[in-house]
Amino acid sequence: MEERLLRIAERLAERYRVEYFDIRISRAGLTSISLQNDRLEELSSNVEMGIGVRAFKSSWGFSSANDLSRAEEVIKIAIKIASLSSGSSRIYLGDPVRDDVEILGRKKVSEVDLEDKLSLVRGAGSSLEGDSIKNRSVHYDDSVNEQVFINSLGSEIRTVVSRVRLSISATAHSAGEMQQYWKVFGGVGGFEMVEEVDLSHWGPFVAGKAMELLKAASPPSGEFKVLMDPELTGVFIHEALGHAVEADSVKNGESILAGKLGEKIAVDGLTVVDDPTLPGKFGSYPYDDEGVKAKRVEIIKDGVLREYLTDRETSAVLGLEPNGHGRAQSYAHQPLVRMSNTYVEPGDWSFDEMVEELRNGLYMIGDKGGEVDIASGTFTFGAKEGYLVENGRITKHLRDVSLSGGILDVLRNVMAVGRDVRVEFPGYCGKGQWVPVDDGGPHLLTKATVGGLK
Amino acid sequence: MIPDYIEKLVRILEREDVEWEIYWEGGRVGSFGIERETLEKAQRKFFSGIGLRIGLKGKMGFSYVSGLSHTGDTLEDLVKRAIKLAEVGNVPFSGFPSPGKVKKVSDIYDPEIEEIPFEEAYELAGHFSSIMAEKKAELGGSYTLSGSLSMGFVHYGVLNSNGVELMGKSTGFSLSSYVVKKGLKSGSGYYGQSYRSLKGWEERYSVLEKALSLAEDNYNAEPGKPYEGEVFLEPGAFLSVLSIFLENLRGDNVYNGRSRFSRPGEEVASDILSISDDPTVPGGVGSYSFDGEGSPGQRTPLVEKGILRGFVLDHTFASLMGYSSTGNAVRDFRTVPQIGFSNVVVEPGDYSEEEFEGVIISRVFGEHTANPVSGDFALTVELGYLVEGEEKIPIKGNMFVGNVFEILKKAEAAGKNGERIGPAYVPGLVTHGKVV
Repeated sequence: MEERLLRIAERLAERYRVEYFDIRISRAGLTSISLQNDRLEELSSNVEMGIGVRAFKSSWGFSSANDLSRAEEVIKIAIKIASLSSGSSRIYLGDPVRDDVEILGRKKVSEVDLEDKLSLVRGAGSSLEGDSIKNRSVHYDDSVNEQVFINSLGSEIRTVVSRVRLSISATAHSAGEMQQYWKVFGGVGGFEMVEEVDLSHWGPFVAGKAMELLKAASPPSGEFKVLMDPELTGVFIHEALGHAVEADSVKNGESILAGKLGEKIAVDGLTVVDDPTLPGKFGSYPYDDEGVKAKRVEIIKDGVLREYLTDRETSAVLGLEPNGHGRAQSYAHQPLVRMSNTYVEPGDWSFDEMVEELRNGLYMIGDKGGEVDIASGTFTFGAKEGYLVENGRITKHLRDVSLSGGILDVLRNVMAVGRDVRVEFPGYCGKGQWVPVDDGGPHLLTKATVGGLK
Repeated sequence: MIPDYIEKLVRILEREDVEWEIYWEGGRVGSFGIERETLEKAQRKFFSGIGLRIGLKGKMGFSYVSGLSHTGDTLEDLVKRAIKLAEVGNVPFSGFPSPGKVKKVSDIYDPEIEEIPFEEAYELAGHFSSIMAEKKAELGGSYTLSGSLSMGFVHYGVLNSNGVELMGKSTGFSLSSYVVKKGLKSGSGYYGQSYRSLKGWEERYSVLEKALSLAEDNYNAEPGKPYEGEVFLEPGAFLSVLSIFLENLRGDNVYNGRSRFSRPGEEVASDILSISDDPTVPGGVGSYSFDGEGSPGQRTPLVEKGILRGFVLDHTFASLMGYSSTGNAVRDFRTVPQIGFSNVVVEPGDYSEEEFEGVIISRVFGEHTANPVSGDFALTVELGYLVEGEEKIPIKGNMFVGNVFEILKKAEAAGKNGERIGPAYVPGLVTHGKVV
């Protein structure tokens, strides 16, 4: 089928004089299981196919359908739309790529019985027991996406990528107070990504945290020195830096970091990387959705802004190397510049040294997500819990903590970078489309505004 | 008239000793992206599919197939897969709704949107970008204007073994604008609005002007001093805070112990607040005549004069909790019905914003970092104002902190001018708050 569609597209591209086109044909197997308390809420196992076609003639035309009988029609529409263009953009063309990559992990999800997946979910649910736990939730998802990518340059790339994710969550009630805690596992690979999770440790850990948080205090408010754990460092660097170096926002003149390549924007010793080639991480991929090979990007090296994350268009417009960060939620979406696995490289501080350096402030743990205004440079992010640090000692347990800061301020206020890097916090990043990402880093000491109730 | 492919599926299902529900839809979306005042992206997407729920011996199975034109074999496979999932899955089945009295909601379908040729839609987007280009020429190089325009239609239907047989169609149209101003510092403003008909096009200038005005104020804003006292939440900021509260009114959260509340009757807000969910608003962007499982759309009082009156429910959770469905099952063909809000309506009051002195919170972000069950939140102030006498000083970058349950209980007055924000109708709110 691909060969026939390619011929049709080539003929139309010539007729309408478009510079470039690509076709993505996807076949995804998706399994989803949800459990609330002991009640199974969802069990679905489906296969979805679709086609997305993009064409470029100084601006983009795109069309998609989830009904492959419309394949020819969407090719024609995408190319015709591009031919209407009055834009003035450019794209990187480059050499054709031919490759076939399968990342299915050790235990292929397609070969694991539904009963075994259900059994894992039920086991995870029952591991979340506790006296004041009133809700135990478990969500399991796996997907195997086979995508064939062909383009007008002669590229033909077949990728088959399997992703697995398990989240467990507990809600505790007592004396009018309610608190939640959760933990997420997963990555690119097979069923082993979640089967090897030690639920006998993590179930009681999550339930215990939800119950402990019932007794935790509201944090103070104002500007504080904040020590972030690796998970919070991940969301911090994703929000505080990652979105502002996505080159579409730079190209459009929106990002506060536009025009700052080569400038020192952070302290010495701070190095930040986005790396889609890390094995097994949730944001990993072999090729992006524009058929460009995934590449490790050193965004900040020793405090200096070195690279933006780019796709075919932004790299051409900004005169940069394409680094394979054009990602789409599915065949029905156009690729946008996105992060993959974003993390802070290790420094040389030990945890104890950092607590001592912090002296008085807050130790914040876990990721509750974040959001950023890349134009004004203000961002916010949430921690699952925290502790007060007084005279270099960890003291009172804190709950419901959100922090905010200005991108350039907090990068310059980093006071210490730990040795203990972890990148194992699978999640989804939204930017009009959702894509899987991971992030992390070591413990990191900086300053931020804490929005506490006290 | 029931489409042939659905009739074919029904014939297959009638051979099986099961209860069944078919949800199908098909539609098209066209959207356009404007970057730096230039139309840079245009797309036309087609979507369609059939979702099938099976009830078998007290268990439920669900499966879907994308596309609408299928062979008999594909439909047989769909039925077999859904039955197998019911057999192995153990998902409890609470039955399907019986036919109810469905009233047609007006003005949710505009044939012009379904019939508009792509070239004409493209011209509209081109015109929207030229308005931005003219504005930029007038304002100068420190401004960057971008935006989007999109429109689409969907035809859908629900059919079940209890005799529900409903079909509908609806359209949507949206415009948005994002303005960045850069100079010695930078600021931005976003404004978007959605509509049911192409009449929304008439608001293109005001959509751009609102984004410009927000960008101007955001540019001039500086972090304000810490403050505690009377605050006026403009409708956008009030809706952000209210969204944290609304999570507690979803029937599934109540049933599963993830809500603050367990039954109606409790005092949950100040007596100046009345909130309802109403899919019957003519032309409302959250409106529908029937929900995703065929229950009639109806107005559901949620909070009346501060007293909790009800929850939003689908058929499943209504059955589990001993209530009736409120017609709030939201879905597409890929999903089983889930509980969602339609149009959230907060009754306006008689307060005039001009009288206010203190801190106005206009826009916030970061709602998802809040804890809906404890109610504690700390949101970043994207734009606010400190009002002292005649002076109105823009502020940003502070955090607005508090507890949603306390904020609503301390509400002193609702603004007299409600604003529509997508599917929500919200006034401003005077309450007590803290800014750090």
